[in-house]
Amino acid sequence: MNWTAILLTLKLAALTAAILLVVGMPIAYWLTYSRRRWKFLAESVVALPLVLPPTVLGFYVLVAIGPKSPVGHWYQAIVGHPLVFTFEGLLLASVLYSLPFAVQPFTAAFGAVDARLIEASWTLGVSRLATFFRVTLPLSVTGVVTGVVLSFAHTMGEFGVVLMVGGNIEGVTRTVSIDIYDEVQALNYAGAAQTALFLLVFSFVILSVVYAVNRNVWAVWPMK
Amino acid sequence: MADEMMAVFEKAYHGGPSIHGTLRLPVGQPHVTVLFGPSGSGKTTILRCLAGLERPSRGRITFAGETWFDAETGGQAPPQARAIGYLFQDYALFPHLTVAGNITYAIPELDRHERRARLDEMLRLLRLEGLEDRRPSQLSGGQQQRVALARVLVRRPQLLLLDEPLSALDAPTREQVRGELRGLLRGQGVPTVCVTHDWMEALALADEVAVIAGGRVLQVGPPDEVFSRPADADVAAIVGVETVVTGKIFERKDDLAALDVGKVRLWAVEPSGRGEAFYLCIRAEDVTLEIGARPSSSARNHLAGLVTEVRPAGPVSRVTMDCGFALTALVTRQAAQDLALKAGASVTATVKASAVHLIPR
Repeated sequence: MNWTAILLTLKLAALTAAILLVVGMPIAYWLTYSRRRWKFLAESVVALPLVLPPTVLGFYVLVAIGPKSPVGHWYQAIVGHPLVFTFEGLLLASVLYSLPFAVQPFTAAFGAVDARLIEASWTLGVSRLATFFRVTLPLSVTGVVTGVVLSFAHTMGEFGVVLMVGGNIEGVTRTVSIDIYDEVQALNYAGAAQTALFLLVFSFVILSVVYAVNRNVWAVWPMK
Repeated sequence: MADEMMAVFEKAYHGGPSIHGTLRLPVGQPHVTVLFGPSGSGKTTILRCLAGLERPSRGRITFAGETWFDAETGGQAPPQARAIGYLFQDYALFPHLTVAGNITYAIPELDRHERRARLDEMLRLLRLEGLEDRRPSQLSGGQQQRVALARVLVRRPQLLLLDEPLSALDAPTREQVRGELRGLLRGQGVPTVCVTHDWMEALALADEVAVIAGGRVLQVGPPDEVFSRPADADVAAIVGVETVVTGKIFERKDDLAALDVGKVRLWAVEPSGRGEAFYLCIRAEDVTLEIGARPSSSARNHLAGLVTEVRPAGPVSRVTMDCGFALTALVTRQAAQDLALKAGASVTATVKASAVHLIPR
């Protein structure tokens, strides 16, 4: 079993989930409460990774962060090394790839909070931001947990995007799914089986824990 | 004027009727204005505009010198900047907080002792002692209403806005809370705007009634005046109670009470045994008219007087008579002809004691 790959994958998934928790909440808040006419466009963009082949997403991220692109150029100028084929580049791609898995449950949970409770809080003199943390968030905890776990689990299993953006560098971008693929290519079925079984059991345990803790709400793809 | 609230505004809806709000009330003293009207008449929209939850299309709202909304400058104070207490129709208690958590929600900036003191004060005032660790879902409707009131009163608002405060309660509880609420509102020393479609609620709470229909204020005045002397047929149709007069208890016998209305004495059913001054409400269809001498019947009240007006209204005639106060009766047109009712005719009106509805003042 390739422990380096497993630890790298866990680190990537945990960081992706953490970033999505912070980035996903304001996006979900805006999607829930905005009354702009072009909101549907933003919703479509957020949902794109669900339908796009990972290779397509990976291709665009690769082009966008390559050393010739403004983003890649700017990153290299500041940090000193290119973004592409690094852990940071892989993290950026993972965040984009798992975005809907966090934002969708967040949006559904925020939308399910009774608007009257929020208005009640405002008329009690509590600011919009404080109302979010004192009313909306506590009443959306199940949806937020769902979003975080889903984006974590989804990142654990990503393959196409990693291959396109990260390449296959031991300890830097070689994740579990790439490792299994390599083992099979090398006809090392025993090694592949071990890692695959680990991933299967691990995923099952995580989902079981979430289901047990969070029995009634499991909104994977709620529309509103 | 610095010590009053002035609100003149209009809220236009795309493709719908526009709502016109016109209100003027004194600030810093107990004064209950009831917005009375059928559902869909725009009452709640007016309340929401006053709270800052809805943005009017035109007009101006000022409160004790502060400008809350001004269409000219486009300025609007958010709900947070208005010293209001808004009671929602279904109370909107926070389900994830306890009773204590709900009540102290609006005062996180106070230190622990002050917060505890305010909480205790509210628990006492609204008789919620012993319930502070319960969740809203573990409370009865009446208790939920009191928690919602406590949550609003704890921050000492300058203006109370109540949206159908009693409609979520069952009938017996409503009866009881109605009386308490008036006392509570008086005790707060601040003006209240209360929305309701229930005429008993309006009479029980109001110092002033504004009748609203189709998004417009049709009539404003003291409750007995608005209910007894509607300005026009629209208001009359909305208020639905034709005779409202004030009376004082003369004596009580069992569940009956004799009340003096001017020089006239009326019997009414009054089982509570409390209160001195009441509104007496008599629906026109509960009044029977007879010609000539005082008849003898099981009804308690026989009032002699002169007809002042006979107005046909469809298959019935609305007869107004003066029997010491203005009393309206509804009789069929046939009966009006048989009795030869016309202005100046001498009649006796009969009203059962159970048809005289009392609302404590």
